[in-house]
Amino acid sequence: MSRTPRITRRRVLATVAALLVVSVLGVVLAVALGRDGAADPTADRIGRPAPGLAGPTLDGGRVELAGLRGSVVLVNVFASWCGPCRDELPLLADAQRRWAARGFRVIGVDVRDGPDAARALLAQTGADQLTVLPDPTGVIAVDWGAVGVPETYLVGPDGRIEAWERGPVTAGWLQRRVDPLLGKPAPGPGEEPG
Amino acid sequence: MTARRALLAAVLLLALGAATVGVWRPFDAEAGGDPVRRLAGQLRCPACQGESVADSQSPIAVAMRQVIADQLARGRTPGQVRAYLVDRYGPDVLAAPPAHGAGLVLWLLPAVVLVGTTGAAIWRGRRRGRGKAGGRSDEHPPSGTRDRSRRRRDRQLAGRRFPLVWNLAATAVVAGVVAVAVVGTLGGGDRPPPAVPADPVPGQLALARQLEQQGQFDAAAEVYRTVLASRPDDGVRLRLAFTLVRSGRPVEAAGLADQVLAARPDDPQSLLVLGLAQRATRSAAATDTLRRFLAVDPANPAAPEIRRLLDEG
Repeated sequence: MSRTPRITRRRVLATVAALLVVSVLGVVLAVALGRDGAADPTADRIGRPAPGLAGPTLDGGRVELAGLRGSVVLVNVFASWCGPCRDELPLLADAQRRWAARGFRVIGVDVRDGPDAARALLAQTGADQLTVLPDPTGVIAVDWGAVGVPETYLVGPDGRIEAWERGPVTAGWLQRRVDPLLGKPAPGPGEEPG
Repeated sequence: MTARRALLAAVLLLALGAATVGVWRPFDAEAGGDPVRRLAGQLRCPACQGESVADSQSPIAVAMRQVIADQLARGRTPGQVRAYLVDRYGPDVLAAPPAHGAGLVLWLLPAVVLVGTTGAAIWRGRRRGRGKAGGRSDEHPPSGTRDRSRRRRDRQLAGRRFPLVWNLAATAVVAGVVAVAVVGTLGGGDRPPPAVPADPVPGQLALARQLEQQGQFDAAAEVYRTVLASRPDDGVRLRLAFTLVRSGRPVEAAGLADQVLAARPDDPQSLLVLGLAQRATRSAAATDTLRRFLAVDPANPAAPEIRRLLDEG
């Protein structure tokens, strides 16, 4: 080809226009889709009825969340192979001891774990009083929408999710979230759920 | 048809075939076989970066695969399972962008660009053809080889038969690829569940094996027990027994081996696991049982190790 491509005014304008269209489209898409993603899709789980939770417990008993209406139930998804869970369990055991009389109960969901390993962990962390539901395949964790361990859900007396925390909870979190939901101390005998 | 044209046509056909196969294969691989894997491949692992539920080894992804298998086995459609997981993990769990709002632009843009550029290319090609066939030869006086090649091109373009064939063929290739992509993406989306519902057992067995390999024998035993509850199978029973021996529960293991031996007294695997369980409980019968195992199946991969154990006493 002997002809050199002529750079016409029209061609420059067309190139600039094309670049402009692509950039605007990119920015619009990034903003629109970014906003979609930024709104935490799981935030609306607060206030929703808690998923079901029923089955045989680690100590050979049985637990049913639906039967605990009126109590404040903390559901903690954990596993013996999870380091932060080891630090968190003593806090939860302590909270249950402190608030049991006011209708507070902790249920552990032991995800993809073995009963012996879980028992050992509970004994080591002084949490062997907690009700633990084994979930060897992880289907209970998925039913609750858990992404990892530990993860904590606070179920109010009406059976709705009041609070939810990814990662270990702190003593401050428990105080802030649990205490306001609990009834007056020193209930009469027989009020303890179970 | 000249040899040159035949060659071009052959190349074109080859390109069309390659394009179709290339686009079809990924969808076919996804669609065929395991419906659990297929659905898991359309979901994003919520605990990972850029990995699908099908590919991730994170505990929650493995658990999600189990949920998918369970629900499909119960006869729920892939759409229902997807809705269940979106309800729990939000729409971000879907790997494909939503087909509404800003997400719709992502779906439509490639089609618009494809149709636009194809149309523009055809239009331009035809206009240039007309232009060249027209008064161009007046601008540059013809001379030498350039003249020959131009004459040939002019001949081709003037009739517009050749460009038209090319245009049609190129459009066919593009349309074919688009059609395959659309069929592959949308076609399989909400297929009814297969006539034979997905069986959760293979997934559970794979999970148990994996747990065994990780040394989590208790968890593995738990999963084997789940499988046994739905499928009383001697193979699974013996796997459970082996796992129990390794997790330090030989009495239970011996019980399971006895169950299998009651039906098949000379089953080598049962004799092996019973012998190992007896050995773990320091039972005097262990040596006898293991000798029987060696007698029944001397070529068993475990036999040399058992001989060594017996020699040790």
